Amino acid sequence: MAARKPVFNQQVLYDTTPLPDSIPKVKELGATSAPLFSASFFIGTRCKDYNDDYMQCKTENPGKGEFECLKEGRRVTRCARSVIKDLNTSCLEQFRAHWECLDDNNHQLWQCRPAEWNLNRCAFEKLGLEKVIPDQPPQSTPVHLRKKMIFAHYPIPSHAKPFITGQEEAKPKAS
Amino acid sequence: MPQDMPPVGGYEAVQYKRNIPARGFRAGYYLAGAGAIMAYGWYHLIVGLRERNELAREKMWGRIHLIPALQAEEDRDLVRRHLADQAREKALLGENIKVYHSDRYVRPTFAATPGSTTK
Repeated sequence: MAARKPVFNQQVLYDTTPLPDSIPKVKELGATSAPLFSASFFIGTRCKDYNDDYMQCKTENPGKGEFECLKEGRRVTRCARSVIKDLNTSCLEQFRAHWECLDDNNHQLWQCRPAEWNLNRCAFEKLGLEKVIPDQPPQSTPVHLRKKMIFAHYPIPSHAKPFITGQEEAKPKAS
Repeated sequence: MPQDMPPVGGYEAVQYKRNIPARGFRAGYYLAGAGAIMAYGWYHLIVGLRERNELAREKMWGRIHLIPALQAEEDRDLVRRHLADQAREKALLGENIKVYHSDRYVRPTFAATPGSTTK
């Protein structure tokens, strides 16, 4: 068996039959990989409960999760969609700058830190969504807040400042 | 016939040492220097490896946060195709044949690829 699952491809394997009316409709995400990856930590922050519910449902229904977990799946999609929508309405400029940077840089997050910091600031100030990487080793700066990225092609410009939640709130009041 | 004997007072000392000064520093300094260079390299290697681990973790979590959304979309698509297949089978054969001796959902190996589609 091939290592990669044969994934349905809308271009090759046409089947335009819609879901029956007994299953509620939900609008799909409709975002490509770069915007999704750019928003992934915000999706993770806002939709953690829905995601966990869905994954638990899938775990508890092995072999049948596709049918049993449709409800949870719709919630997951709605929540992720709401994050993308909020980013598009509130932080369109920063969001677009970041995901276009990701698109241009092979989805390497470390090439796009300044754009990411701008997006993180906007997302936190306007939407209250924070980027937190779990399982951070103690006594070390989280990797997305470091001023220097060893693997980046270009050094981070000195005027770009990482967005650290507590510090940034204190700064504007002082100045 | 008298036998050859050493000269009186013994032979002269044989000069086996070269009478030139040793070049360069003491060997210990070279060892220490090489060690310093390697320590520098190892330091940067370890810093780089640690940062790479962190970046890998960041990427992993970025994907983990996306898995449910992507999987949900995929599942809906699979369910839609499965139900459509079942309906098609029912319409063509009159009944749904249970192919697998299991109640689990099996991803279809074959898919209907109609030549003309209603789009």
